[in-house]
Amino acid sequence: MATAGKKEKRVLWIISIPMAILALSCVYPVYFALNNALKDNRGYILDRFGLVQNPTFDNFVQAWTRSNLDTYFLNSVVTTVGAVALLLVVSSLAGFALAVLRFPMRRLIFIVILASLMIPVQVVLVPFYQTIIGLGLLNTRTGLIISYTAFFLPFSVYLMTSFYAGLPRELVEAARIDGAKLIQVWWYVMVPMGRPALITLGILNTLYCWNDVLISLLVLQDQRTLMVGIAALRGEYTTNVPLLSAGIVLAAAPIVILYIIFQRQIVSGIAVGAVKG
Amino acid sequence: MKKALLAGVGLSLLAASPALSQTITVWDWKSGDPVAMSYFDQAKAEFEEANPDVTINYVMQPNDQYYTILGTALASGAGPDVFLLNGGAQARARFEALTDLTDLSGDLVGLEEFQDEDGTVYALPISIQGFVVYYNKALYEQAGLDPETPPQTWDDLVAACEVVAEAGSAPCFTLGNREGFAGEFILSSLAASMLTEEQQQAFADGELAWSSPEVTAILETWVSTQDMGWYREGANSTSKFMDEYEQFMRGDAVHTIGLMSDIAHWKQFDDFLGAENVGVFRHPAPDMAFDEPRMPVSGGIGYGVNKDGDNVELATAFVEHLASAGPIQTFVNDAGVVPANTTVDTSGLSSPSVISILDWLEPYGVTTAHANVTAAELTEWQRQSQLLLNGDVTPAEAAARLDEVQAEARSDD
Repeated sequence: MATAGKKEKRVLWIISIPMAILALSCVYPVYFALNNALKDNRGYILDRFGLVQNPTFDNFVQAWTRSNLDTYFLNSVVTTVGAVALLLVVSSLAGFALAVLRFPMRRLIFIVILASLMIPVQVVLVPFYQTIIGLGLLNTRTGLIISYTAFFLPFSVYLMTSFYAGLPRELVEAARIDGAKLIQVWWYVMVPMGRPALITLGILNTLYCWNDVLISLLVLQDQRTLMVGIAALRGEYTTNVPLLSAGIVLAAAPIVILYIIFQRQIVSGIAVGAVKG
Repeated sequence: MKKALLAGVGLSLLAASPALSQTITVWDWKSGDPVAMSYFDQAKAEFEEANPDVTINYVMQPNDQYYTILGTALASGAGPDVFLLNGGAQARARFEALTDLTDLSGDLVGLEEFQDEDGTVYALPISIQGFVVYYNKALYEQAGLDPETPPQTWDDLVAACEVVAEAGSAPCFTLGNREGFAGEFILSSLAASMLTEEQQQAFADGELAWSSPEVTAILETWVSTQDMGWYREGANSTSKFMDEYEQFMRGDAVHTIGLMSDIAHWKQFDDFLGAENVGVFRHPAPDMAFDEPRMPVSGGIGYGVNKDGDNVELATAFVEHLASAGPIQTFVNDAGVVPANTTVDTSGLSSPSVISILDWLEPYGVTTAHANVTAAELTEWQRQSQLLLNGDVTPAEAAARLDEVQAEARSDD
């Protein structure tokens, strides 16, 4: 028994070493960004990896003003909230239809949606850009909201379909017997029941939209979102690393706060969609 | 949850508003740079005052995505009215999208990188760029060298590096060749002094082979500097921008081959080390074609006008203003660029380094050799320069491979 305990401890120690290295590799970039954001450029050049000696918040002020982060922040909030809200509505409706309703080629439609998950964004950039111009959506937040919705919809539909397929069909049938129309079934039964999946989806899509650079760069050329503003802090050949670090810290802060608030849902939500669909 | 969904959709639709404008849109990657802002602000304010119905809209793009986005926008017929370009290959690749600005280029130098073979100018340069050797005067003194007497000949430089090596405090040169940029810089620096003007032109035209004795001598010279121990280990894994220059600013090396404008230049080094501690000289070479070293110079960055834009006439007028003496004077004073406009007064610059650089511009220096070879040759030279530094190929082998690329690239033209 004692031998088994010792062996178990030894295994735990062996496992904990790579895990600790992995944890350190995740934490170190955060430390690097925070530490260097508090240095001036001279301090950084003289000692890139050392602990900050004379902390300054000038980089945060400069990053905020130089990159118009207040305006870009608003653009990011509006487009992210808009896109995530649309994604939740559309994917929930589509998931309901694909999982619950019976209609011809239902499976084929689901497979097509799944297949579209495998097409990289870069492949469709040119036709996508021409479509945006053709629809008069260039340089509009509406254009970016619709673009995000289109690009992130396949995964969202897949997730919601999988989740709704796992719910008891009797709930839908009971509502129908009580005289509920389809839209009422979705609103009064499926949306409340699908809340865990919707929260997870909301969080994941918020991360995707908030951190996007490429789509935003193409669609919102005159206004910019926060991450594009941060990317613009990098020079042609040279980068003021403390300034960029401050920008990254500012841009990451809302997402980190969001993660802290919804930590439990995010962790539990990782399993959603992995169950039988 | 339902309320939140509805509120989200409502907020997004309310806030989503069209942003199309009638302004002149200018794309660049510099207008957000604090040291360049005064130049951009002045150009905008003056132009808008002279043209009250016009608004200038600078759009600063992230540099690493700039040419991808610009290319997509131009191909889709939705490009900006005015856009910034690097001279050389990047400019040449976009001549078809640009209007002819030849008539506005009278006072400018550094036009070669923005001209086609017929001499038509497609963008107006605002700065010129070139290579010089910067040195740390304090380290010169520590090594026992006279900081006010920099090397003038190849023998002087070799002797100085021997003294530095004996002192043992720092390597003679800092070198970053991870991207092959050090190879580019050394090629242009040595070619400027080792090739005659006719040979430079022949090399640019693809008529002087890499395996010619003149060009092979440049490759051999570089290998000899490695053999003499001028550099720290690991140059091929050190980035030129900015690891190499940060090493120089930290005092970890005595010399560096730097630029004259924009970055890694006299102003940056002056600000960090103090102007009194920064010295500069033109890169000497063995077997020089001239009595004294030449400084390689070319057009730096310049503005072009989108020929398919909605406001070509106004955009052209604005580009002329961007390259004019008034705003450029501010650019020179605040950002420390060496101007392409020859009417700009540079007498107010007090840095000893830039005073020397400006002196060497008379007569206007020779063009940078690396900017005149084809893109394929340049890419292959970046690779071969790394192999040469590692000792994996001999200069003759590298030159033979570059000959093949040169012949292939020229046959494609």
